[in-house]
Order: sequence, then C-alpha cells, then structure tokens
Amino acid sequence: MKKVGIVVLSLFSLTTALAEDVNEIMDAASAGMVTISNVAGTVEVRGWSRNQVEVTGELGSKVEELIFERDGDEILIKVKVPRHNKGGISSDLQVNVPAASTLQVNVVSADIDVSDVMGEQSLESVSGDIETAVHGADIEVGSVSGDIEVQGDKKATRSRMTTVSGHIEIDSLSGEVGAESVSGDVSVVNGSFRRSALETVNGDIVFHAGLQDDGRLDIETINGTVDVKFDGDVSARFDIETFNGSIRNCFGPESVKTSQYAPGRELKFTEGDGSGRVTINTLNGSLQLCK
Amino acid sequence: MNGKDDRKFDDDLLERAAKLAAPVAPERDLWPGIEQAITVPRKPRRSAWNGAWAQAAAVILLVGGSSGLTYLTMSGARNAVVPTAAEAPVLVFEQASANFGSQYTLGPDFQDARSDLVEKFEQRIENLSPEARVEVLANIETIRKAIDDINRALSREPDNVLLQELLINTYRDELSMMIEVDGITGAAMRRGDI
Repeated sequence: MKKVGIVVLSLFSLTTALAEDVNEIMDAASAGMVTISNVAGTVEVRGWSRNQVEVTGELGSKVEELIFERDGDEILIKVKVPRHNKGGISSDLQVNVPAASTLQVNVVSADIDVSDVMGEQSLESVSGDIETAVHGADIEVGSVSGDIEVQGDKKATRSRMTTVSGHIEIDSLSGEVGAESVSGDVSVVNGSFRRSALETVNGDIVFHAGLQDDGRLDIETINGTVDVKFDGDVSARFDIETFNGSIRNCFGPESVKTSQYAPGRELKFTEGDGSGRVTINTLNGSLQLCK
Repeated sequence: MNGKDDRKFDDDLLERAAKLAAPVAPERDLWPGIEQAITVPRKPRRSAWNGAWAQAAAVILLVGGSSGLTYLTMSGARNAVVPTAAEAPVLVFEQASANFGSQYTLGPDFQDARSDLVEKFEQRIENLSPEARVEVLANIETIRKAIDDINRALSREPDNVLLQELLINTYRDELSMMIEVDGITGAAMRRGDI
C-alpha cells in the first residue's frame, strides 16, 4: 500500500513538474475584443486600467501550445491541445484585459470567472460553472450543465442566460433579461426590469425584483414552482393561469377555477393604472405572487 | 317484421297492459339515474373563450407556432457546423411524437426540420463527455415527458388555450435546447484542435 502511495505521489509530482507556467503580455486596444478558449481547467478574467492583455497561469502537461496573438483590435488566447487527448490538458488561465474590452469566452469543462470587465460579454461552457459581473453592457451566457451566476450593478442591460440543467442566479441586473433552463432553477433578485422572460420545464422560478412602468414580465414553467415578489410599487395587468397548480395572491383578488371538471385556476386583475403586463403560465407548478 | 305485424304487436301489448290490475312501480326511483344519463354535460368553461374562438386560436397557434418552430429549427441549423467525425457508436433517438392534442399534429415541415436537427444533435452530443451526454439526454427526456403530459391533458381538454400555448412552447423548448447544445458544443468544436 505504501509502495502504491509512493508511485501515485511520484506520478503526481511528475505531472506537476511537466505542467508549464505561462506569463505573457501584449499591447491591446483599449476597447477591443478579447477571445479566450480553453478545454478544461479554469479561466479567470479581470478588467484593468492598462491597454494590455496579460496571461498568466499554468498549462496542462499535454497542451501543445498557448496561442496568444493580436489581429487589429482583436486578441486571441487559445489553449491548443492534441485532437485525441487523454488527460493532461487541464489549464488554469488568469487573464487581465483592458476594462472596456468586449469579451468572448468558450470553454468545454472549464469554469469561467469574470470581473471588472465593462464591455459586452459572451460566455459559453459545456460543463463548467460561469460566474460574472456585469457593468451596464449586454451579456449572453450559455451552459449545458454548468451553473450561471451573474452579478449586475443595476444599470440597464440586455441579458440572456440559458442552461440545460444548470441553475441560473441573477442579482441586480436591470433592463431586459431572458433566462431559460430545462431542469435548473432560475432566480432573479433585485434590479428593475422593463422586460423579463423566465422559463423552465422542471426548474423553479423566483423573481424578486422591480417591474418598471410599461414593463413586462413573462413566466412559464411546466412543473416548477413560481415565486414572484415585486420590489416597490407595480402597475400592471396580471394574467395568470395554471392547469394543475395552486395560486396564492397577496394582491387581493382570488383565483378562480377554470373548469368545474379540471383543477386549473386563473387569476386576472389590474394593479395601479395597469401600464405593465405580467403573464404567468404553469402546467403543474404552483405559484405565489406578492409585493 | 312489416308494418302490419308491428301494429298487431303494439295492439296486443296495449291489450295486455290494460288488463293489469295496477300500475307496476319500479323497486326504486330510477329518474335521477335516467336524468344523469340523458343530460349532456356542459363543456368546461374557458374564460373569455368560446369554442369557436378556441378553435381559431388553436389553428393560429398551430400554423404560427409550427412555422415559427420550423423557422427556429432551420435558422439554427444554418449556423450549425458539421461536427468532427464521431468515434463512439451513434446514439439512437426515439422519435418524439409531434402530436398536438388529440385533434391536430404539427405539420410535415416541422417534422422534417426537427428530424434534421435531431440528426445533427445526435452527432454533436457524441463529442460531449459521458457525464454531459447523460445530462443532456436526461433533459431531453424531461422535455419529451412534459410534451406527453401536456398532450394527455390536451386530449381531455382540446379547447384549452393554456395547454395549447404550453405545448407549442415546450416543442419550441426542445428545439431550442438542441440548437443551444449544438451552438455551445459547436463553438468548442470550431476550435479545430479538440
């Protein structure tokens, strides 16, 4: 057993020894585009005040090369790995970019962590988690099984998040948001929205945020529960219906059965001058609506 | 029996009935059961939607939704990149039904577009890790179960507009998911080095 331990330790040490440190820097446009791709490991991106892009970190032992090149206002950072790889490709990258850069990151099973980037972001991962902060610029985030966490600063943006099975957590975004998941939960808290469309098949949906005048909130789930709580006053026409769930409404009006034979319920009412619109549809999910 | 025989049968019956000493009373009151049997049940109420409107909505949803779904599929497919050759055995997908309640089915354009997308999707997920592939397939099953559930409910309430909307949107979700997975994994594959 001791021998096995030593062998494992030796292999580990060998792998570690073969991993390559990276530390490169090049000049960049102040508001150019930075594209990063990595297969496995992590990608951390930070915005900074310099007009340079810096890459540090560690490349996996089987990585062929790190491509780091500039074409006009575009910088490409790519971890190149063998076509048929069997491990040793996990690479951890820390990338500093000009704060106003537009950022595009594509990874397979790597986590993505972004902060202090003011430009637009497009982040995609197959199975890694994605965490980012948004500062008034549009953002699009997609993952298959990874979770998505987006922190805003309440400045208006257009944002879209999609996952298959990951959870989506959105905090303090404003403006327009679209979030979809099949089996993951979707949570939108804080912020104030002009347009918000949230959708799941089995995941639960939480919306604890404000709805602007003339704003629109559309929620749809098949089997998930829905929890809506408005920050501040809301002025909207409400049109809520569930085929097989229950409706709890703190605004006052009671829901009514849609049929004497089926368990469906619906709730229609107007709050304030009814300038906005709230639509919630579920098949089996129960929902509650509060302010 | 001809008409003459019928009349004779009726006359005999009336004659025998007239000879009865007293009316024959049933052992119990049968009227409630009879009333229940002959009363046509009222259709479930649909708020603000009568049958004609609901039918019209269904057709609009079906035509518009089906066309939209087809467009979604095709526009997504245009952006798709042919994946690298798969080494693993090809997964076989069971064809999900394209039923729309018990009265309609989604059109052939939709079904063709969907089949194309499923084919590309099958190839694409071959490039995923086994764990991610299992996850994706489980979620496809989740969506298809939801479609089945809604279809079952819709077969009981074919005029239910909520169910019609949920169904068309869930079909759309299935396509969206396939396009999304195709896009995300495609972006990784376009790297050309994995």
